[in-house]
Amino acid sequence: MERQFAALHCDRVKGVQLIMPIGQRVVLIGGGHNALITAFYLAKGGFKPVVLERREMVGGGAITEEFHPGFRASTLAHTLGPLRADVAHDLQLDKFDCEILSPDPRVFAPTSDGKALLFYDDVAQTAAAIGHFSAKDASKYAQFARSLEETASFFTQLASITPPAIDKPTPEDLWNLLKTGRSVRGLGKTGIFDLLRWGPMAVADFVAEFFETELLRAVIAARGIFGTALGPRSAGSTAVLLLRAAADAHPVGSAAFPRGGLGAFTCALAESARQVGAEIRTDAEVRHILIKDGAVTGIVLTDGEEITVEAIVSGVDPKRTFFHLVDPSQLDPTFANRMKNFRANGTVAKVNLALGGLPAFPALADNESYLKTLSGRIHIGPEIDYLERAFDASKYGEFSKMPWLDVTIPTILDPSLAPDGKHVLSAYVQFAPFKLREGNWYTRRRDLGDAVIKALAAYAPNLPGLVEGIQVITPQDLETSYGFTGGHIFHGELALDQLFTMRPVLDWARYKTPIRGLFLCGSGTHPGNGLTGASGVNAAREIIRDLR
Amino acid sequence: MFNLRFQQLFFFVDPLAVAFCNDRFEVALDGVESESYRMGQHYDVVVIGGGHNGLVNAAYLAKAGKRVVVLERRHVLGGAAVTEEIIAGFLFSECSYVVSLLRPEIIRELDLPRHGLEILPLDGTFSPMPSGDYLWRMNDHAKSVRDIRRHSRLDAEAYDEFSKMMTPMCRFVKPMLSMVPPDPTTLNPKDLKQLYFLLQRFRELSSDERYTLVQLMTMSSADFLDQWFETDVLKATMSASGIIGTYLGIRSPGTAYVLLHHYMGEIDGAFRSWGFSRGGTGAISNAIADAAREAGVEIRIKAPVGKILTKNGRACGVALQDGEELSANVVSSSVDPHLTFEKFLDPHELPADFLEGVRRYKFRGSSGKVNLALDALPNFMCLPGPGAHLRGAISISPSMDYMERAYDDAKYGHYSRRPYIDMVIPSLTDPSVAPPGKHVLSCFVQYAPYKLAESTWEDQREAFGDNVINTIAEYAPNIKDIIIGRQVLTPFDLEREFGLTQGNIFQGELSLEQLFFLRPVAGWAYYRTPIQNLYMCGSATHPGGGIMGANGRIASQVILKEWKGSSPRSTATASKASN
Repeated sequence: MERQFAALHCDRVKGVQLIMPIGQRVVLIGGGHNALITAFYLAKGGFKPVVLERREMVGGGAITEEFHPGFRASTLAHTLGPLRADVAHDLQLDKFDCEILSPDPRVFAPTSDGKALLFYDDVAQTAAAIGHFSAKDASKYAQFARSLEETASFFTQLASITPPAIDKPTPEDLWNLLKTGRSVRGLGKTGIFDLLRWGPMAVADFVAEFFETELLRAVIAARGIFGTALGPRSAGSTAVLLLRAAADAHPVGSAAFPRGGLGAFTCALAESARQVGAEIRTDAEVRHILIKDGAVTGIVLTDGEEITVEAIVSGVDPKRTFFHLVDPSQLDPTFANRMKNFRANGTVAKVNLALGGLPAFPALADNESYLKTLSGRIHIGPEIDYLERAFDASKYGEFSKMPWLDVTIPTILDPSLAPDGKHVLSAYVQFAPFKLREGNWYTRRRDLGDAVIKALAAYAPNLPGLVEGIQVITPQDLETSYGFTGGHIFHGELALDQLFTMRPVLDWARYKTPIRGLFLCGSGTHPGNGLTGASGVNAAREIIRDLR
Repeated sequence: MFNLRFQQLFFFVDPLAVAFCNDRFEVALDGVESESYRMGQHYDVVVIGGGHNGLVNAAYLAKAGKRVVVLERRHVLGGAAVTEEIIAGFLFSECSYVVSLLRPEIIRELDLPRHGLEILPLDGTFSPMPSGDYLWRMNDHAKSVRDIRRHSRLDAEAYDEFSKMMTPMCRFVKPMLSMVPPDPTTLNPKDLKQLYFLLQRFRELSSDERYTLVQLMTMSSADFLDQWFETDVLKATMSASGIIGTYLGIRSPGTAYVLLHHYMGEIDGAFRSWGFSRGGTGAISNAIADAAREAGVEIRIKAPVGKILTKNGRACGVALQDGEELSANVVSSSVDPHLTFEKFLDPHELPADFLEGVRRYKFRGSSGKVNLALDALPNFMCLPGPGAHLRGAISISPSMDYMERAYDDAKYGHYSRRPYIDMVIPSLTDPSVAPPGKHVLSCFVQYAPYKLAESTWEDQREAFGDNVINTIAEYAPNIKDIIIGRQVLTPFDLEREFGLTQGNIFQGELSLEQLFFLRPVAGWAYYRTPIQNLYMCGSATHPGGGIMGANGRIASQVILKEWKGSSPRSTATASKASN
């Protein structure tokens, strides 16, 4: 209490921050995973958070829906980031019916000529699998996994801090920088140089430094381009890979998902937030934010309801926040211009298939481990050139005819999602640009679905005959139905110029905005990358400090 | 002087010692100041390669009193900054064809104008379009803005803003071109001070300047320009300077930096200006060579180096391919790291991690050159007849997609079916390079990947040349009728003829992971090498390629600074020990 008083006093002296008594209501816009996590921490911090979700369910991009009678799928995201361990611990997720399934092998990557590579949790086991392709690569794999882990430790540290203020670094910024500096020094001279060299590199060059097997290169490189407008030969894609490795240092990333789909996970987050006092309202769409004299005063819902608040936290993407919910005349022109330049053109589509049976992959011998092998992620994109060509199409406003697919069949480990004996296949499809040059997504939706089934059939020939239902979610749908501006699943491009102190824009990377009382907590803020919850936690910390 | 004679005498009477080098040599040197010990054969510094950087390096060392020899493999000096009469009466600036980045301090300190350097202005960039229209930017800013306004009013306004914003960007980066990159991994106070200095300078920028600088350092040139402009041909032409010498497309991050690198041009104190050297780019090399000779440098042509001689991990001279050996206290190599470390040295002489860094260093040449001797001037359909538009650069870069598709071809190992071409007709500005009434057309062509997927450059050379001419003919159909002769240089030729590994014109890609303290090898960006007394001074070092000369100048400073007593005491081994 004394400390709070001191903080209060201190803030009053500074005179720029908002000072709110403990227990005051804070409205959060959007019920995605980051907003739910922020709400949890705000409630713990003594505020009264109210989450307003436009749709009938919370979860944002992490939801489970019935897409075909009797078939349910993680409609959008189909694997976890994974969630940061400390967040999972704070939220006590294990208490809320949320069982995380972690398949092993994590990734099964077939080639079109009937070979396949498997990636296990265990490094030695994976190395043995790689040995079938190249003894040299097998021997290098352990070294690669280790250096990735070491480098990732630095990114883990970086992801947990608030980007420093460049003009007037706070004592905490300096402390954080010191800590980060220490973790950099911990990498040693070679490690530091590797880090500096790798960051701006093309991920295709990065994997080529270690491996010669095309399939192995492609599976690892794919992680650097997921959800981005980058091909494996685009510089800077290694930074994205390293950023992802911060959440899970395994070379191919995480394959974990909750029983009941991703919706079960966000329901557990919501439940946890409710338990500590957060209020969560669904079917509550925000129309706009009321601002007076540069500070928020309230919020208006589409049904006309008006709520008076002194602080608003937006979990929706920055472009939607500033260009749809805020009166443009309230924005500083420099800020508005930078925000306009914030790139958020999505490249990912999602296809969910209701299958009458399990697809047969000839690349897998029909043995007992068949099911186990298919229970993780399936990577369709056997060569760097394949990925690059898939990307090429999107540069000219066309979706890939031979797309790169990241597939899961969640029903193998979680049969509850489909009727008995039937299966759900969920595929991230890349590359599908938000803006098509010819036609539009309403007329081309079917073509995209067909292209995906055709691409899959090259690896599982019986698949087309099994399809009972199909759901195609185009980048256009991601914007209109799910609220991702530009259809960008990460709320904004993950590129060197839009990370860290530049996310979403330089000078405003500290979860605050130029509008007093308006904060950001979504993926459009640092580190903002997948279902890790890192943006939500970082934002909560800054918001609590600012509000008190 | 006495000491010198004493040394010569010493070696004269002891023929065994002629088999040189250090142990004996150092014993001999103890308590003696001079180091020359064999008449006509021993030098303070041997510079490998007579390109502009090698010559600059030699000139500065000689001015500081060192006895220097430059060894050039070819029959003509200049490396890639060379002029040759390939077709009788026509002087081709074979490789590098325009100049802008040559450091003003070098021009001043070496007094190059007195040695014959004369830069003639290159006015503007003319981009013909397939639609029959064109974009013509000139050195006169107001005229450029007027022409841009024909395409877009908004862009005309933005162009003003853009030019204003780029000036502080260039000002920020320029001092970095003349500094030895600091080592970011040490706690050495000197390096920390430099890093702090850079950070402070960054913090002194205004918020908008910082924003733009960060973008320039990280973005793709296409994304960067998309924020400013809407006219396709304007963006395409401007973004082209972001891909020169790289194996990247305009949409690949990191190309905005290359754009800035080419934006920094400065001639006679005027920012952003490009020019020709009278007599071709070779005249620049000749002017530097002249200055070097005046300072006492001995320059030998047709003297190809075969090997760098070492003794106990120290460079002690070079052996020419014909077997002649030259001993030296310092070897300064202006050729690229591949040649220096993999060809002129034995792999076992180098630490494994360094060698790996050298092998990893990316060259990947991506451009070729087509030089044409013309009977008359090309006639562009969009602006017929001769005119001022032919006096500047003519850029075949009609749209962003055109540029990107050119890159797509190269990615999969083909030369661009429709390449980006940057052409100049130097004979309009400098009539001395062609017979009266006739002209020289110099075409820089990108992309031409070093490795072709399905063929060899030996087979494809002429087809590549035809493709370039066909591309030009789409805009200036008369080109095919006025060609008297041509020279086609593929990346393969650039490697074979000019010693540019994999045909990279900058001795290694200008990509972010190969710049500043990472160029050429992380941990060795300080012009030193793991071999004591062996230094690098070519484009493969910071600050990279182009006719800048900065590399050679900074390297000379490093060498001189470490010169104590008989030879430099580089901290090379020290920094390795701290590893």
